[in-house]
Amino acid sequence: MISQTMPHGGGPARHAAPDVVIQTSVLTKRYGTAVTALDELTVVVGPGITGLIGANGAGKSTLIKILLGLLEPTSGTAAVFGHDCVTGGFAIRTLTGYMPEHDCLPPDVTATELVTHFGRISGLPATAARERAADSLRHVGLYEERYRQIGTYSTGMKQRVKLAQALVGDPRLLLLDEPTNGLDPAGRTAMLELIARIGTEFGISILVASHLLGEIEQICDQLVAIDAGRLLRADTISSVTQASAALLVEVDEGVDLLQAELVKRGLTPAPFQRGLLVQLAGDETYDAVRDSVADLGLPLSRMEQRRHRIEELFRTDPALADEPRADVPGSQTMGAPSAS
Amino acid sequence: MPADAQAAAGQFGSAATESNNGAIDSAGVIHNIGYRRYDDVRLGRAAIVRALIWHSLRSAFGIRRGAKAKIFPALLFALICLPAAVNAVALATNPHSSPIVGYDDYIPSLRTVVMLIFVAIEAPNLVSADLRNHTLPLYFARPIHRIDYPVAKLVAFVLACLAMIEIPLILLYLGIVSQQHGASQVWEQTLRLGPGLLYGAAWAVLLASIGLLLASTTGKRVFAMCAIGIPLFFSWILAHVLAQVGVQAFSAAGVGQPSALASLAGLISPFTLLGGLLRWLQGNPAIGPAYHPLQPTTIGNYGPVYGLLFAGLIVAAIAGLIVRYRKVGVA
Repeated sequence: MISQTMPHGGGPARHAAPDVVIQTSVLTKRYGTAVTALDELTVVVGPGITGLIGANGAGKSTLIKILLGLLEPTSGTAAVFGHDCVTGGFAIRTLTGYMPEHDCLPPDVTATELVTHFGRISGLPATAARERAADSLRHVGLYEERYRQIGTYSTGMKQRVKLAQALVGDPRLLLLDEPTNGLDPAGRTAMLELIARIGTEFGISILVASHLLGEIEQICDQLVAIDAGRLLRADTISSVTQASAALLVEVDEGVDLLQAELVKRGLTPAPFQRGLLVQLAGDETYDAVRDSVADLGLPLSRMEQRRHRIEELFRTDPALADEPRADVPGSQTMGAPSAS
Repeated sequence: MPADAQAAAGQFGSAATESNNGAIDSAGVIHNIGYRRYDDVRLGRAAIVRALIWHSLRSAFGIRRGAKAKIFPALLFALICLPAAVNAVALATNPHSSPIVGYDDYIPSLRTVVMLIFVAIEAPNLVSADLRNHTLPLYFARPIHRIDYPVAKLVAFVLACLAMIEIPLILLYLGIVSQQHGASQVWEQTLRLGPGLLYGAAWAVLLASIGLLLASTTGKRVFAMCAIGIPLFFSWILAHVLAQVGVQAFSAAGVGQPSALASLAGLISPFTLLGGLLRWLQGNPAIGPAYHPLQPTTIGNYGPVYGLLFAGLIVAAIAGLIVRYRKVGVA
């Protein structure tokens, strides 16, 4: 699905196969001499929902604009569906829908008028534009409100209109830049479900940029993480999380005893919060933990499979991954991962 | 799924049931609206630009916008049609009177004031709003090129200005023709109307290109209106003042040619530039007593200068507009 090539170009550049949606090669974008937004980014993205994560200023929006042909890279190449972003921007823009990060809606028109208009600018004939505008607005969950002026909308409704205008031209690929920006938790969840549905049921590939890791984990098949314009990691979500699934074991007393016992059984338990974190190798890990606790006669209070949060997975030093941290999924931003 | 998400999904479901418009099947939940692919014809770049022109042209007259957006264009249009209506009524009541309004310059002071206000109000509507609302990325992320947007806006605004200028001329023509008998008289009027329409087109192209360039400098509507209205208005006043000074000096000297100041003052303002252009094209330099305070343009022997500046201003304004949108940020 997704693969990572060496940043400094070991092999020949791959030709875009049908299962390649986005491909960049040593892509660099500098603004003037001081600011480097993208730094030799090489990544291949396949179909499905792909999360593009990075802190603010990591280069997510710059990458999206280069993919749309709106910005020219300083060096390197990028291609969408095999069309080069510099020379084939026009072809790419017929195949993609773009939802900008910032507010981009005029307040004095209705959602229907706006989406119909942008349907026409996407190349739809007048009748088709009207029909697809109504469809798109219904898909994003706007009904009677769509006849009201956008200026009267809540932030959540505006985000839905922004998504509807990206969807109206029936794109093969959606580029969504921070779609949950400014939404409350309920609106955030609803927006994520909408994106997941568009990706799975509508069969449209999606690149969704976000600085919120919890969201990405919920809806994406694949993940591209960038920091300071450099690629941190690109992989499928399942391989990222599977590789590091762990078992959290908590006992009311005798943590040290249990740790020693587990080490004896060939496991590598690490102290975590009030319990132990054991790397999960399979069913035998559960058995080993169960038997250890039973043999020692310890009061077991908790045993659960724990998925690492993605930010931990980017830390190359395993010791750092076990640092305790705030435990609220979906509300964490990526704090400069120590990728070296 | 968290509880709030279920609540939200439930909300969608019930709303879908309520709206119940065809695409929703009997289960009545949003998930049952199948996504329909669009495999039909997709229009090319030219058709998209035409759609943008049509959309912009309508918005210049407040069509499909709120009632507030319609007030000024409607008032201004009524105002500029008034002379044609008065003329028609005058001719109808007294068939032997001659027309009180000419095809050439209509009533230049009225046309100047109406077009000044129209351009100052509507040019920002066409371009500043998209800058202010950051709507441009939505356009540039679609299958058009950078140049298409300013060109479409320009064509639309030229058409809007043409409508403001030419429709009154056509009404004037119809009012006159309706009182005349015989094909030859109608033909004569038609021959006179032609140059009037052409000259009106000169007004539309010059004012639209200057107006859009000035409006595209800022996203703030009020600033854009000032950026258009203030220079256009004060240059017009200044041209009049300088022409007066030049004419007074010329009268005192009592020589056969108007002073260079009087002849060149008209170059300062687009409106007097258009007046001078007309005099040059008509071969009427308006020397000496021909001077009229409301038609101040005295061009002396400088007619070609007026023609060159007219063409140069249009080229420069359009080039400026295209450069502006090549550089405009989409971030």
